[in-house]
Amino acid sequence: MSAVTVMTSKDEMKAVGAKPVSRDEGARLGFRLTLPAQILVLFISAFPLLMQLYISVTDWSPLSGTGWWNAWSMWNSFANYTDLAADARFWSALKRTAIVMIVCVPAEFLLGLALATLFADDFPGKRIFYSILLMPMMVVPAVAGYMFFMLFQSGGPVNDILSALTGSPVTIAWLSDPTLALIAVMVADIWQWTPLMFLILLAGLVGVPEDQIKAATLLGANPWQRFVTIVLPKMKTIIIIALAIRVIENFKIFDTLYIMTGGGPGVATETISVYIYKLTTQDLIWGYVAAIALAILVVLSIVAVFAMKRMARAREVPT
Amino acid sequence: MSAIHLQNLVKKFGDFTALKTMDLAISDGEFMALLGPSGCGKSTTMNMIAGMEEPTDGKILFGERDMAGVPMGRRGVGFVFQNYAIFTHMTVRQNLAYGPKMRGAAKAEIDRRVGAIAEMLQLTPLLDRKADRLSVNILQRVAIGRSAIMEPAIFLLDEPLSNVDAAFRAVMRTELKQLQRQFRQTMVYVTHDQLEAMTMADRIAVMDHGVLQQVGTPLEVYNDPANVFVARFIGAPGMNLLKGRPAESDRGLVVDLGPLGITPPLPSELAAALRGARGEVLYGFRPEQASLVRNGQGLAMPVTFVERIGARTIVHLGLGEAAVKTVFDNDVGLAIGDTAIVAPTTSSVRVFDAATGLATKAG
Repeated sequence: MSAVTVMTSKDEMKAVGAKPVSRDEGARLGFRLTLPAQILVLFISAFPLLMQLYISVTDWSPLSGTGWWNAWSMWNSFANYTDLAADARFWSALKRTAIVMIVCVPAEFLLGLALATLFADDFPGKRIFYSILLMPMMVVPAVAGYMFFMLFQSGGPVNDILSALTGSPVTIAWLSDPTLALIAVMVADIWQWTPLMFLILLAGLVGVPEDQIKAATLLGANPWQRFVTIVLPKMKTIIIIALAIRVIENFKIFDTLYIMTGGGPGVATETISVYIYKLTTQDLIWGYVAAIALAILVVLSIVAVFAMKRMARAREVPT
Repeated sequence: MSAIHLQNLVKKFGDFTALKTMDLAISDGEFMALLGPSGCGKSTTMNMIAGMEEPTDGKILFGERDMAGVPMGRRGVGFVFQNYAIFTHMTVRQNLAYGPKMRGAAKAEIDRRVGAIAEMLQLTPLLDRKADRLSVNILQRVAIGRSAIMEPAIFLLDEPLSNVDAAFRAVMRTELKQLQRQFRQTMVYVTHDQLEAMTMADRIAVMDHGVLQQVGTPLEVYNDPANVFVARFIGAPGMNLLKGRPAESDRGLVVDLGPLGITPPLPSELAAALRGARGEVLYGFRPEQASLVRNGQGLAMPVTFVERIGARTIVHLGLGEAAVKTVFDNDVGLAIGDTAIVAPTTSSVRVFDAATGLATKAG
């Protein structure tokens, strides 16, 4: 009888003196190799979060005369959070932020979609209009803020145009009126961020398969029916992405707005970011700021998770 | 159902003429294949029938009705796209129901029609499947069903089998042909694959460079190609064409092929038609219709390549202008370097005018 030796790959490795790498060992090696990067990520994301969480349960401020790591001595048993729940200015800032979002994001979406639909076909001068349309997005927000600040002065171009249109001198004090100031701020945001919507939606629109649109036409669908039954469903994923980006960004609206109104008149245009900015730089109650910031983070995370879930579901049905 | 008449149809894209001038009558219930290489104008013709493109000149009639200015959604044309253009974000049922729904049919009516068409196409068990995960033959049926539910007068199919692998193509061809028999609709089928056209079509319209070359049944275009292009394009491999001049011999009229010698005598009808003509001609015969003969009775040519394709063996003979291919049984005893003496079956010989490319009609 002759024995037949079957060499497995493990045996071979033993034969040449190499240690076989088990699954666990592979995972451990991977962990060791990525450790520096993991530590870096931890430091960038987790550390500030934990620090914030820590400060948010204390009365610590930069004027406390001690480092933040000693803040435990100023433990205030969640007073910041109970204050937050009762802070009318916080809630009104949150409401205002929500109003700005509810007006701006849909307006940007609809304008962007209309423009994308327009630009999906060819027309003379398309390239020039395209470049002009993208310009607002490239303007530094601070500059845009100053621009709109000038435009909405009572002797500014907006009133001049209204005067010319109505035929009688118009001297609306846009930025001093609580309602008009909010409108002016929203106009600036829509002006600046419609191009981004347009760009994303155009990418989605040109990705809609031409054949399916033709097929729908041959089956008797009119342009509106085609848009609703073919184009929009095919763009679902990209629409969700565009909306999620703008909802999150818009929630943090700050620079343009702050330069235009500084949150005023009074607190008429004070959004969450502006409120936090004032608390941080003027009131210096950092423990409270940390509490607000965490609360907002929770809200935004919920939005992001919701959007990502929808996206995952949309991806199950590839277009 | 409806006949289609194309009258002096012309299509230009700027300076480029896609379709020079086309006259074609497709009768009611006929399966017509538009066959030609890329850029021959077949797809343009189809798109004009569907109304996706407006003709530069000429008329398209469905039956008696002029289609000029009728938008594509109102022509009553079913269209099956190359990639089927199934609405992948919908279910099979929603795909089938799309047309009636867009036309505002009542729910009960839609359900009834979808049910009927699904039954006919054996799609009933798949109705609630998402259309993005279907095999290609199901996609084809959904595409056909989606158009068929509108009861179109005319069905247009744009190379529906070109994305399918070769083995499956045979299955799909059979299925498609059966569906056409079921629906009894006028079908226009665009393809560059002569095998598809030959196997499925009632008649084939062969096109090249925006010009209609020949219209006929598959056997007509195979046996009696109208010109050199059709002769070469139809058949795999295409017809062999050798340049020469008609010459008298003691056995009758032959073609003098120069260095290759003289051909066996031409069939008497061709000889009658050619007698007196002295211009250059192309002597043509099908690769399948040649046999090995003894010395002196055929064309002696060196074997340059032997292609064994299973059931048959394709033997390449000669080089350059004087190259021909012949198809023999798979056990043919020829090897590279041998000299083969081949003679075409007399009745299968065709002669073309070398200058015009047109076939010499047997008198």
